[in-house]
Amino acid sequence: MVKGIIILLNLITFLFLPFLMTGIIRKTKAFWGGRYGASIFQPLYDFIKLIKKDFVISTTTSAIFRLAPLISFASVITAAFFVPLIFGNAIINIPAGLIVFAYLLALGKFFSLLGAMDTGSSFEGMGASREACFTSIVEPAFFIIMASIMALSGNYTFESLSKIAENAGSYGALIIIFAVLALFLMVLIEGCRVPVDDPATHLELTMIHEVMILDNSGPELALISWASGMKMLLIISLIAKIIIPDGNPLYAFYYLIIVFFTSVMIGTLESSMARIRMSHIFEFIFIMSSFALIVMSLTAAKVFGG
Amino acid sequence: MILDTLLTGYPVIKTINAGGVFGKINFVIDSLSAFFILIILMMGFLALIYSKGYLKPYIQKGKSVVSHYIFFFMLILSMLGVVTCQNALFFLVIWEIMSLSSFFLVIFENEEKEVLKAGVKYLIFMHISVLFLIIPFAILSIKAGSYDFNAFAPILKENTGLANIIFMLFFTGFGIKAGFVPLHNWLPDAHPIAPSHISAIMSGVMIKTGIYGILRILSLIGTPSKFIAYFVLIISVISAIYGILYALIQSDIKKMLAYSSIENIGIIGIGIGVGMLGLMHGQPIVAFLGFIGAIFHILNHSIFKNLLFFGAGAVYLKNHTKNMELLGGLIKKMPATGALFLIGAAAICALPPFNGFIGEFLIYFGILKGLSISSFFNFLILIFAISGLAFVGTMALICFTKAFSITFLGHSRSEKAESIQNDVSKTMTIPMGILAVLALLIGLFPEVMFEILIMPVETLMDLSAITGVEEFIGILQIIALSAFMVFSIILLLEYLIKFSNKKVEKTSTWGCGYHKELKRAQYTASSYAGPFLSMLKPLFKKVYDVERPKKLFPKSAHFSLKIEDIEEAYVINPLLKFDEWFLSKFEKLQNGNLQDYLKYGLVFLIISIAGSFFFGGF
Repeated sequence: MVKGIIILLNLITFLFLPFLMTGIIRKTKAFWGGRYGASIFQPLYDFIKLIKKDFVISTTTSAIFRLAPLISFASVITAAFFVPLIFGNAIINIPAGLIVFAYLLALGKFFSLLGAMDTGSSFEGMGASREACFTSIVEPAFFIIMASIMALSGNYTFESLSKIAENAGSYGALIIIFAVLALFLMVLIEGCRVPVDDPATHLELTMIHEVMILDNSGPELALISWASGMKMLLIISLIAKIIIPDGNPLYAFYYLIIVFFTSVMIGTLESSMARIRMSHIFEFIFIMSSFALIVMSLTAAKVFGG
Repeated sequence: MILDTLLTGYPVIKTINAGGVFGKINFVIDSLSAFFILIILMMGFLALIYSKGYLKPYIQKGKSVVSHYIFFFMLILSMLGVVTCQNALFFLVIWEIMSLSSFFLVIFENEEKEVLKAGVKYLIFMHISVLFLIIPFAILSIKAGSYDFNAFAPILKENTGLANIIFMLFFTGFGIKAGFVPLHNWLPDAHPIAPSHISAIMSGVMIKTGIYGILRILSLIGTPSKFIAYFVLIISVISAIYGILYALIQSDIKKMLAYSSIENIGIIGIGIGVGMLGLMHGQPIVAFLGFIGAIFHILNHSIFKNLLFFGAGAVYLKNHTKNMELLGGLIKKMPATGALFLIGAAAICALPPFNGFIGEFLIYFGILKGLSISSFFNFLILIFAISGLAFVGTMALICFTKAFSITFLGHSRSEKAESIQNDVSKTMTIPMGILAVLALLIGLFPEVMFEILIMPVETLMDLSAITGVEEFIGILQIIALSAFMVFSIILLLEYLIKFSNKKVEKTSTWGCGYHKELKRAQYTASSYAGPFLSMLKPLFKKVYDVERPKKLFPKSAHFSLKIEDIEEAYVINPLLKFDEWFLSKFEKLQNGNLQDYLKYGLVFLIISIAGSFFFGGF
C-alpha cells in the first residue's frame, strides 16, 4: 500500500515537474532580461491549449509520422521507471538498469528522427542529422561516467551513484564535481538548450531540435515538448542522486532544490551567452567527453592507485 | 534430434571410417553445433522460399537458375558439414567446398564485369583464409599424430606459447571469413553484388562459420592466455567501430548492410572477448555473460540481417537500383516491405522491444561486471569496450534511421521509384514476416531463448560455477515487461487521441511558405551523413570528381564524391601495386621462346639432381 503511494507520488512529480522546470527557466530569462515574464505555470497552460487543438498533418507523411511522438513519449515514461526519482529510489531497481534506460531513450530518439524525416522536408532532415550527430558523442561519454562510478562500488544499479563519497574516499569530491559537470552539459545537449541549440530561435536553418518538429501539431506537439522536458528531468535526477548523500531523510526536499537550481542555471546561461556557431558545437560537446575521461581516470586512480 | 541436443547438451556422434589419408572422420553434433545447425537450416529454408520470388524476373528473362540452386544446396550442406566435422583434413575440404559454392552463387549476374571482379576478389580472400587454416591444422595434426579435434586439445592446453600462435593463425583464417577488420575487405564488395537471398545467407549465416571456428578452437584451448583475450577484445571493438562508420556513409543500401555485418561481427567478438577475459581472470559470471551475449547476438544478427537483406532485395527488384539517393517514399508503394524493414532496422539498432537488445544487454552486463576485476589494464580495456559499444550503438541508430528514412520515407527521388505500383509477391514478404515475428518474440520473451542458449555456452566453459542464473532470467523478464509497458502506453495514447475525435487537416509540408512539394530539395543520404564525415575526417579517404561551371553560360558541370575504404586505399592497393611491380620483374622470363623454356627445364633438372646429391646423401 505504502509502496503504491510512493510509486504514485513518484509518477505525479515526474509528470508535473517538467512544466515547472520550463517555467522557471523562462522566468529566469525574463528576470535577466529585465522583463516581468509569464507565470511559471505558463508551459502547463500552453500544454493544455495544445491538447485541445486539432491536427494539421502533411500529405507527404505516412503512419510513422503520427506514431513517432507517441512512441518517443512512451519510451521516455518507461525509461523513468529505471531511474531514481524524487525519493531516491528507482521504481524498478535492477542491475544494469542504466543500459535499459539508455536504450529506451534511444528507441524514442529513433522514432523522433524517423518522424522528422517522414515529412520530406530538407529542414527537418537537417535537424535530424544534427541531433543524431550530437547524441553519438554524448552517449559514449555518459557510459564512461556511469561505468566508472559503478566500478567503484561493484554495484551495477543506479543506487551506486549516491555512494561515490564513501567508496572513493578523498577522490570522492573531485569525481562528484566532474560527473555533475558532465551530466549538466548532457542536460544542455539532450535538452537542446543554449549554447548547443536555441529553443527560441525563429530561423529554420539554425534550429536543431525545433526544426525536427516543425510539422507536428496539436496534442502530438504537446507530447513532444513534454517528453523533452522529462528527458531533461531524468538526467537532472541522476545529478541529484550523485550529489545527495545516501539515505538522507530529506532526499525529496534536496531533489526539488537541485531541480530548481539547475533550471535557474540553465536560464542564466541562456541569458548570458549566445549559441555557439554550428561548426564549433562538436568541440563544445567534446568537453563532456573530456570530463568523462577525467572521471574515469580518477576512479582508476582510486581503485588501482590506492 | 538437433533440438534435443540443443536442449539437453548430449552430443550425437557419428563416425565414418574413410580410410586412406583421412582416417576416422568424426561428425559430432554437440550443443554448439546444434545451435549453428538450427540457424543454418532455418535461414536456408527461408532464403529458399524468398529466392522463388526473387529469381522470378530473372527466369522470365530466360536465365537458367538450375546451377544456382545446385550451388545453393551445396553451400547449405557444406556449412552443415563445417559445423559438425571434427576431422581437420576433412574440415578443410568442406571449408573449401563452402567457399567455392558461395563464389559461384555470388557471381550469379556474371554478365556484368563488376560482379566478376568482386567475385574473384572474394575467391582470392577465401584462399588466403584457407592458407591460414592449413598451417595451424598441419602443425596440430603433426604434433598429435591424428586429424581428430579431440586429440588437439591436450597439446593446446599443455603449451601456452604454441596455443597463442595457433590461435592467432586460426583467428586470421577464420577472421577473414567472419570479416574482422582489417581482414574484412572482401565483404563490402561481395555482398552487394550477390542476389539478395545469397547476401542474406552469406551475411546472416556463412560469416558466422568463421565465428564458429573461433569458438571451436577456444573450446579446445580451454582457458585462454592474457594476450589472445585482450587481442580479440580490442580487434572486435575496432571492427565494430570501423564497420559502423563505413556503413553510415554508404549510399548503396546493400553495401551499407555489408559494412553493418562487420559491425555486428565486432559486437559478437566483443562478447567472445569479454568471455575470454572472464575465463582468464577466473570470473565465471563475466565469462558466462560474455559468451551467452555473443551466442545470443549470433542468432539475433542472423535474424535481423536476413530480414534487412530480404527487404533490400525487394527494393532492388522493384527499383532496379541499390542507390538510396534514387529512392524514397517507398513505404506508400511497398507498405509490407517497408514495415518489415523498419522492424529489422529497429532490431539491429538494439532497441528494446526487439531481439537485438537482449544480446547487447548481456554483453554490456558482462562488461560492467568485469570492471570490478582488479587489474588496471583490464579496467581500461573494458571502459574502451563499453564506450565503443555505446558509440557503435548510437551510430547504428543513425545509420539505420538514414537507411530507412531515405529509402522509404519522404518523396520519391526518381521517376522509377515514383512509378512503382505494387509491393513484392507473398513468397518474398512471408519469409520476411516470419523473421520479423521471430525478432519481436525473442525480444518479448527473452528468458525462453536464454535458457535454451545456456547449453551452447557449456561447450566453452564449465557452468557448474555459475550461480544466480535465475537472477539474469528475472532481469530479462523485467526488460520484457518494460517493452510491454511501452506498448501499453502507446495504445493508451492512441486510444485517447482516437477518443477525442480530433479533426485532421491535410496540407503540404512546411517549406517557409513555399507550397509546392520540393522533391529534389529533400535531405539526401550523403547530406544526412555529412556532419559525421566532417567530424571524423581523417578516417575517410575522399575522392572528388568535380567539374566547375565555367564562363557566363556554363555548358557542363558535375560533382561526385566517392569515399574509399582507408584500409583498401592505404594497405590493399599499395600491396597490389607492389605485387604488380615485383612480378613485372619476372616478365622477361616468360618471353614465348621455346628454346628458353627448354633451358629453364634443363636448369631445373640440374638443380634438382644436384640438390638430391647434396641433401639426399646424408
